[in-house]
Amino acid sequence: MTTATEKIKILYVDDEQENLVGFKASLRFQYQVFTAVNVLQAIDHLNNHPDIRIVFCDQRMPGQTGVEFFEQIRISHPSPIRILITAYTDVESVIDAINRGNIFRYIKKPWEEADVISAIEEANKFYLANTLLAVKHTELQKAYDELNRFAYSVSHDIRGPIAGILGAINIARDISDLNEMKEMLYLMEKSLQKLDTYVLNMNDYYSLQRGELHLQEIDFTEFFEELESIFGVVANVSKISFRINVNQQEVFRSDKALLKLIFTNLLSNAFKYQDDSKVEKSVVVNAEISRGSATVSVGDSGIGILGSHIGEIFNLFYRATSQSVGSGFGLYNVKTALLKLNGHIEVNSVMNQGTTFKVILPSI
Amino acid sequence: MNLAFIVIDDSELDCFIAKKVIEHNDESTKVTIYKEATLALQAIRSTLATANLFTIILLDLRMPVMNGFQFIEEFEKLPPYVQQQYAIYILSSTKNEIDINRALGYQTVVSALEKPLTKISLGALLYDVRHRHF
Repeated sequence: MTTATEKIKILYVDDEQENLVGFKASLRFQYQVFTAVNVLQAIDHLNNHPDIRIVFCDQRMPGQTGVEFFEQIRISHPSPIRILITAYTDVESVIDAINRGNIFRYIKKPWEEADVISAIEEANKFYLANTLLAVKHTELQKAYDELNRFAYSVSHDIRGPIAGILGAINIARDISDLNEMKEMLYLMEKSLQKLDTYVLNMNDYYSLQRGELHLQEIDFTEFFEELESIFGVVANVSKISFRINVNQQEVFRSDKALLKLIFTNLLSNAFKYQDDSKVEKSVVVNAEISRGSATVSVGDSGIGILGSHIGEIFNLFYRATSQSVGSGFGLYNVKTALLKLNGHIEVNSVMNQGTTFKVILPSI
Repeated sequence: MNLAFIVIDDSELDCFIAKKVIEHNDESTKVTIYKEATLALQAIRSTLATANLFTIILLDLRMPVMNGFQFIEEFEKLPPYVQQQYAIYILSSTKNEIDINRALGYQTVVSALEKPLTKISLGALLYDVRHRHF
């Protein structure tokens, strides 16, 4: 069962009306056929139906030859595959046109239905291969750009901590004071933790790029209890009040691993960027699930984000503050994960008062 | 030769290493550490009158908020007699030649060192400073 929209779209241009009628009559069951008696009509069809895959054109037309027409649309509409219909007498111009890459092949006049169908099938294969190539090319370009950014960050984010540790080992030989040594070990540990975070995030990054969605029912109460047990330790040690409110009366479906990535990153930031000078420190999660969508806010009483930096915090390797050991990876991964789940995120931040991230997700 | 040092780097460990290496070389050398370039800039601006000690600035390039390049650009806006009190040396872990060359392109940047700072690289730096300024 194929509907009209699934048929391959082809366009036939010929100045003789009866040729058009004959062509359409014999092919319309298999293909969606557009016809045009002149070049202007043909261009109209191409503009209105950018998914036309194959264009047939008669060589002998008043005003403009088929070859000239193809030469023109090769620039303006490069995607459709071009097939010329011609009599033997035009063989010179046909050979010339083929050699210049303006036409894919030609069919001799008067045409046989079998020839036309075989030409369409061949052209369609060629079209699909070309389209696929264009898509792959775009993907490849994106991967290449990202690789460039990685290569750049490697020298800073990976080599940086390594150079630090090497430097520390180097001066350890000259340190005799035990407290000084302990301070340095503490700094070395922090540096290695940063490197470790970077590697773990890089892992997230790659599974996000390649991974498929695994949908399941999400019980947000249970989901956040899991995260509460992970972040409860930090909350206790740093004396940060940690509250989670969930209101879920309906079934919600999503990818649990991606949700975990999103909220682990947001919570980790909420705890990391606290203002140590404050007495009352808090992290509050509010989750409201209704009418097929989840609205979850993660708010903190932290240092806040400067207005001029907010636009950039979701960029890869961007860091807005020197406080704490950010890798510039976290929020980028959050954004990518949300994109996969058709969700979005809003930020509200006041310097020295705190930041609230609001995530809105549809049930999938 | 009396010298002071300013280290501008967001990495605590790298600041610690630089400070220790400098102090091990000469305990009396004053080393001031800034984890943010903006703070260093403020300090340089506010101590204009009292800064009579020639000061080496060890500057990291990739830092949040204000990076090394932005720092240099702001520094070059200071009055010449202030700039003359300082010599900027890049101290970075990067192997990226574009970044290094870009930094060396600034008039106030003397040279670039690779992290980590060691006794040997500090020795070379001091030799270079002595050669140029004293």
